[in-house]
Amino acid sequence: MTARAQAIRPRGLTRTEVAQVLLRGTALIALAVMVVVFGALSPTFLQLTNLEILAKQTAINAILAIGMTFVILTGGIDLSVGSIVGLTAMIAGLLINEGLQIGALGVIVYPHTWMVMVIALVAGALVGAINGLIITRFSVAPFIATLGMLYVARGAAGLLNNGNTFPNLVGRPELGNTGFAELGAGELLGVSWAIWIMGALALVAWFVTSLTPFGRAVYAVGGNQRSAELSGIRVDRTKLVVYMISGLCAATVGLIIASQLVAAHPATGEFFELNAIAAVVLGGTSLSGGRGTIVGTMIGAFVIGVLTVGLNQLGVSSFWQLIVKGSVIVLALVLDQLQVRVQRRIALQQQAHADVAPAPAG
Amino acid sequence: MIDRRTAGLKGLILIPALALAACQGTSQASPSAATQPPATSEPTAAPSSGGEAGGLVCVIVPPVENPFFGAMQQIAADKAEELGYTTLRLVHDDDANKQLELFENCISQQAKAIILDNAGADASVAAVQKAKEAGIPSFLVDREITQEGVAAAQIVSNNFQGATILAERFVELMGEEGEYIELTGKDTDTNAHVRSDGYHDVIDKIPGMTMVAQQTANWSQPEGFSVMESLLQAHPNVKGVIAGNDTMALGAQAALIAAGKTDVIVVGFDGSDDAIQSIGKGELKATSLQPVAEMAIQAAIQADLFIRTGSTGKPEKQSIDMVLLTPDNACQYEQFAPKEGAGSCS
Repeated sequence: MTARAQAIRPRGLTRTEVAQVLLRGTALIALAVMVVVFGALSPTFLQLTNLEILAKQTAINAILAIGMTFVILTGGIDLSVGSIVGLTAMIAGLLINEGLQIGALGVIVYPHTWMVMVIALVAGALVGAINGLIITRFSVAPFIATLGMLYVARGAAGLLNNGNTFPNLVGRPELGNTGFAELGAGELLGVSWAIWIMGALALVAWFVTSLTPFGRAVYAVGGNQRSAELSGIRVDRTKLVVYMISGLCAATVGLIIASQLVAAHPATGEFFELNAIAAVVLGGTSLSGGRGTIVGTMIGAFVIGVLTVGLNQLGVSSFWQLIVKGSVIVLALVLDQLQVRVQRRIALQQQAHADVAPAPAG
Repeated sequence: MIDRRTAGLKGLILIPALALAACQGTSQASPSAATQPPATSEPTAAPSSGGEAGGLVCVIVPPVENPFFGAMQQIAADKAEELGYTTLRLVHDDDANKQLELFENCISQQAKAIILDNAGADASVAAVQKAKEAGIPSFLVDREITQEGVAAAQIVSNNFQGATILAERFVELMGEEGEYIELTGKDTDTNAHVRSDGYHDVIDKIPGMTMVAQQTANWSQPEGFSVMESLLQAHPNVKGVIAGNDTMALGAQAALIAAGKTDVIVVGFDGSDDAIQSIGKGELKATSLQPVAEMAIQAAIQADLFIRTGSTGKPEKQSIDMVLLTPDNACQYEQFAPKEGAGSCS
C-alpha cells in the first residue's frame, strides 16, 4: 500500500506542481515574451538607452504600485494616489516658486530644496493618514473613503495656484532652493534617480512584507481580519500605516514628475491609480487581500511599462493600446483564478495522500 | 490535463498583445509604403544620396477623440510621409508626464524631428528642451510654450485676431445691445484667456452690451450643455452666447434648443466640421476657423527644410490669421481647410 502510494505521489504531484509554477510565473513569462517580440519588431527596443528609458518610465507606476500593494494586501484599495501625486507636486511647486507665507508676520520663508521634498513627502503621508483614519475610525469602506479623497486632493491641487501650473521650478541661488530638477534629470552611475528610488523602495518593501512582524500583520489583516484581531494584531494601526505608506509613495512620484517636467501642473497624475492597481493585480496580488508579493508587483509594473513603450514605438494607435492593455489585465486575472483552483487541488491531494499514507515516507 | 489547459490560456494572454503588435507593426508600415510610390523617383534616392531627407518624424498631439487634433495629426503626418519620412503618430492625452515619456521614446528611436501640439505651455518646456539637447528639433503647432529659443518653430493661429473678428460679428448680430453670456475654456489653458481677452477687447467698447454671466465649461460639450441649462434659469432673457470653442457652443446651443429658445444667438470658435454643419442648419451663427491644415502642413515642410538645410528660414514664432465662418461661407470649408471646388453657399 505504502509503496504504491509513494509510486503515484511524485508523478501526480509534479504535474500539478509544474502547472502551478507556470501559472505563478505567468506575468514573468508574458514579460519575457513581450520583450523578445518587441525586440524583434523594433530595432531600437532592446538598446540600452531605450531600456533605461523604459525602466525610468516604469518607475513612476512601480513606486505607486509598491504602496498600493501594501493597501491591497490588507484587503483595501487606494483610489486617491493619482490625486496625491498632483497635490504633492503642486505643494513642491508652491514652496519653490512662492515659498511659505507665515501668517500674521507677513514673512515668506523659502525652504531648502531638501526641506521642500520632506514637506511634500510628509504631506503625502498625512493625506494617507486621513484616508486611514476615515477607514478605521468611521468604518467607511476603503473604496469610498479614497474615492472621496481622489476628488478632495485634486481640488486642493487646483486651489494651490488657481488651476495654473507652477512653471520653471529651478529655484533661485540667492534663496538657496536650487537643484530641484536634479531629482528628475540627475543620474548616479549613469542610472536615473527615479530608477534608484524604485529599486530602493522595492527592496525595502520586499524586506518589510516578507521579514518583519509588520509585514506578517499586513498579510494577516488581509487574510482574515477577525482572526488577526483575535491573535492580537493591531488591525487599525496596521491599516493606518499602509495608507500612509501609499501616500508616501504617491508623494515620491509627485516629486519625481514635478522635477522631470521642471513644472507642477494640478492635473498631474490623473488616472495613475488605475495603472497602479493594474500592476498590483497583474503581479498576482489578490484584491481580497492576504495574498501577493512585492516581486509580483514589480513584474506587473514592468509588464505594463513594456506594453506601453513597445506599442508606442511600433506606432500602434492609442485606441488599440487601450484594448490591448485591458485584455492583458483581464486575462491575467483569469489565470490568477486558475492558479487558486490548482492550489486548492494540490492541497486536497496532499490531504488525500496524508490520509492514505500517514506513516513517514522514510 | 491541467497543464495543457493552462498552456493554452497562457498563449491566450499573449495573443491580443502580440498579434495586435504584429499587425499594427505591418499596417503601420504599409501606409507609408503606400504613400511613397507616387514620389518614389526622388525620395528613394534621397536617404542614400546624403540629402538627408528621410528618417523618423514623431507627430504628438492631444487626444484624437477631438477631431481638431485628429485632423492636425493626420495632415502633418501625411505631409511628412509625402516628403519622404516615416512617421510615428502618438497621443499625449494632455498629460505632460506622458508627453515627456513619448519624447524620450522618440529620442531613443533617433527621430529626426518632432511635430508637437503640446500638453501645457509651462509643463512642456522640459520635454522640448530634452529633445533639443539630443539634437532633435521640435516644431510646435497650435499651442505655444512659455520659453523661446527651445523649439525650432512655434506655428500658432492668431487666436486674438480670430477672437476679435468673431466678437465684431457677434456685436453686429446682437444689434449692439442686450444681455449675453460668455462660456470660457479651461482655466489652465492660455488660449482660453487669449480668446476671452479678444472678445472683451471688442465687446467692452459697446455700451449696450451687458455680460450677465461668465463661466467655464472646460472646452466640453456636455459641460457647455449643463452650464447653459443652469444659467438659463438665472438669466431667461439672455440674447446671445459667445463661447471659447465650438464644442461648448454646440453644447449651449443644444440646451437652448431643448429649452425652446431658438432665437438666442450662439457663436463658437475653431471652425470644426460639427460647427460648420450646425451653421448650415441655421443654428450656430458664426465661428472662427483655425487654420489647422495650414499649420500642420507648415510644420511638416519646415521640419523637412530644417533637417536638410539646418534652418527653417523663418522666425521661431509664426502666427497665422483666422477666417470668420458665417452662413455665407461656412459650406466652403471642411476638415479645417478650404474645400476644393466648393461653390457659394445658398
